Amino acid sequence: MNQETKKGKEHPLSVVINEAVKIFTDLGFEVATGPELEDIWHNFDALNIPKDHPARDMQDTFYIKGEKDKVLRTHTSNVQIRYMENLVKSGGKPPFAIIAPGKCFRNEATDATHEMQFYQIEGLMIGEDINMSHLKGVLSYFYKKMLGKDVDLRFRPSFFPFTEPSIEFDLKFNGKWLEIGGAGMVHPNVLKNCGIDSDKYQGFAFGPGLERLMVIKYGMPDIRPAYQGDLRFNQF
Amino acid sequence: MLISYKWLKSYVPDLPEPDKLVDVFTFHLCEVEGVEKKEDDTIFDLNILPDRAHDLLSYRGIAKDLAGILNIEYKNIEYKIRAGEATKLSIKVESKNCRRYMARIIRKIKILPSPDWMKNYLLSMNQRSINNLVDATNIVMFDRGNPIHVFDLDKVEGSIIIRQAKEGEKMTTLDNKEVKLSPLNMVIADEKNILALAGIKGGKVAEVTEDTKNIIIEVANFDPTNIRKTSKEINIYTDAVKRFENDLSPEIVSVSMNDMSALVLEMCKDATLEEVVDIYTKKQEKNKLSFNIKRISKRLGLDISVATVEDILKRYGVLYKNTDDDFEIVVEDMRIDLKTEEDMSEEIIRILGYEKLKEELPKINWNSKTNEVYSKIFWARNKLLNDEYSEVMTYSFRDKGEVEVLASASDKKFLRTNLSDGLKESFKLNQLNMPLLGMSEIKIFEIGTVFKKNGEKIHVAYVDKKNVVEVSLDEFCKSYQGEPLVDLSAKSYQLKANFKPWSIYPFISRDVAVWVPNVVESYQVYKVIKENAGDLLVRDPYLFDSFTKPASTAGGDGKTSYAFRLVFQSYDRTLKDEEVNEIIAKISYKISKNSSWEIR
Repeated sequence: MNQETKKGKEHPLSVVINEAVKIFTDLGFEVATGPELEDIWHNFDALNIPKDHPARDMQDTFYIKGEKDKVLRTHTSNVQIRYMENLVKSGGKPPFAIIAPGKCFRNEATDATHEMQFYQIEGLMIGEDINMSHLKGVLSYFYKKMLGKDVDLRFRPSFFPFTEPSIEFDLKFNGKWLEIGGAGMVHPNVLKNCGIDSDKYQGFAFGPGLERLMVIKYGMPDIRPAYQGDLRFNQF
Repeated sequence: MLISYKWLKSYVPDLPEPDKLVDVFTFHLCEVEGVEKKEDDTIFDLNILPDRAHDLLSYRGIAKDLAGILNIEYKNIEYKIRAGEATKLSIKVESKNCRRYMARIIRKIKILPSPDWMKNYLLSMNQRSINNLVDATNIVMFDRGNPIHVFDLDKVEGSIIIRQAKEGEKMTTLDNKEVKLSPLNMVIADEKNILALAGIKGGKVAEVTEDTKNIIIEVANFDPTNIRKTSKEINIYTDAVKRFENDLSPEIVSVSMNDMSALVLEMCKDATLEEVVDIYTKKQEKNKLSFNIKRISKRLGLDISVATVEDILKRYGVLYKNTDDDFEIVVEDMRIDLKTEEDMSEEIIRILGYEKLKEELPKINWNSKTNEVYSKIFWARNKLLNDEYSEVMTYSFRDKGEVEVLASASDKKFLRTNLSDGLKESFKLNQLNMPLLGMSEIKIFEIGTVFKKNGEKIHVAYVDKKNVVEVSLDEFCKSYQGEPLVDLSAKSYQLKANFKPWSIYPFISRDVAVWVPNVVESYQVYKVIKENAGDLLVRDPYLFDSFTKPASTAGGDGKTSYAFRLVFQSYDRTLKDEEVNEIIAKISYKISKNSSWEIR
């Protein structure tokens, strides 16, 4: 009856991911990917999250039976490490900027705003003079493109072992401040762990969840239908 | 950690009003997870993160930082106590995991209910009052951050020994849990028994009871990793563990002992005090930290002046010297987190406030590569969408598989080995909903990772009424030539799209077919149906069939039949057949008002 039925309908998360990737690649970022089943080095150690340290409890991790060294990645930050290791191995060096949308896992009870599986979009930009104001500029540019010109961005103090300073950021959308995600300036230990000269190079990283963005953008009451294979969810 | 405004204000008299203080916490210190007004107090629930747990899990730690942020006075309340008498208390530190052990005997104490102020302080933090002695240990822990333990002196045999447990040793904790120990675990023992799991939980043997007369107060500092490992292994997590595992300064041991002793003396007037025994094996070094404010400015993208930094350091009472942009400071003992210049960059900007940072777009003047995996996924998705398949996402967790996760919160403990199983379930679900979806056929696909013994792989799978096909992404993309990604801008930035939640109640679907003269168009029929279908109609009437019997053919009367599908559903109840029958009857009646129209 109309044009729409001629084409299949995309999952809303794919719509959001594609738009996000488009915005960042237009800025000059390149897409990077990494495994969902990850080793401890790339998910924790290289990210300055030491063994036997309370910082590891900040995330409820899925460990794998019979494989001491494996976890389901708790964040897309493993892609940072893999990208930088490969860059150094192939003789490359900063500057670079990557964007990595990907599925992550947390071992926690499911409710309207939490799922055991979820998408994050990791951003990482390293250069000689990439600073925290750039982080603010890039995030603000992205969310204004995504949600409209009148959104406001603010930073609050936080802690992640892989960034220093670390912040949480909020967006003001439709008159309300909403918690969106974490970010910060990459900790020099993370650069060193990948073989990058941390005296010469610096930069930022961020890793907000994409379900959160989808829910805000489309006014969804609950994220759970996203993974139930229900086509009533594909409304856009 | 729950924090009482009143208690906090005893150290920072010029504290702003509670609602203003929330913003100070939020933008300069830590997240506020809740605010509760009580009679004459306000309780903040602060989320103290691991990097500040060693100083901010205490009233004084928070008070000092607030005073620095707001440039107001921090009132350092100190209790003077009389000198203790000579002691025969013998302490032997044998474990290297004990960095400092301070103990003191107080005799002739009385176990009584706590004074009201103590009860109220504890109550404000949702802590039950037990007795004057136990309450005092908690008050000092919350106030200074150092956990404290008390033993009944008369139940202790000989020396106090801090050592690692022997293989197979057992002890019973205060809450009657029997724990089997190994050399990994550090204990506080006497010459006969184990008295406590060091830094974690007291034991039954030397428990303080109503009849206790003489006590040993323990204020100690333990290795954080050892405490954490033991706590995890025996699965006991306490307020003491929470503090020790985050690393405390051993320097706060003596002030904590002083406060505890003062409280006991105040509550038990006849008590006699002995001098402390202090075994301080690993003295905390004064940490000197150097930083350059040009480099910090470069990291933040904000010009920080010498005067600004000096002002901050003075507000916090930090000793420093500087030559122009190069600073050297003596870090306060409790701030174990401050180690590097990067740490100082955070310290400076969170005190100044992150709103000081501008929003600047960096110039990217380097070339970026395309990512093959992402491009292939993008290509595969668009190919399937163009072939009229819709995209779904299903769970990565299944009840069978080759890779199993440990201790899952869910009953689905395995990672999927294929996409097809989930996709078939999705197909069934969507087939039932076909009338609701207004689809005459279900065609769906998923692109995602599957997990086998030998590793993970990205698959593409699609299902329609004939086929279930699942192949690897590479296989699916055999004909992909590395075309550039399609421009998405047409689809982008649809800001006004609003999601419509669906009803959880069953729907009822009915078909209405009408004969009309062939000059009548389908939308005229549609209009009558739509106008009379009421609020329970959940989607537009859908024309699923139409045909015309030409007037020339035998029996033909030149009329056209339009058949519409109507779907009814309520958002708050299960619909009854009769309700829908009534609606259909109404529509039929309206249709029959056109004399040339006829319900089939």
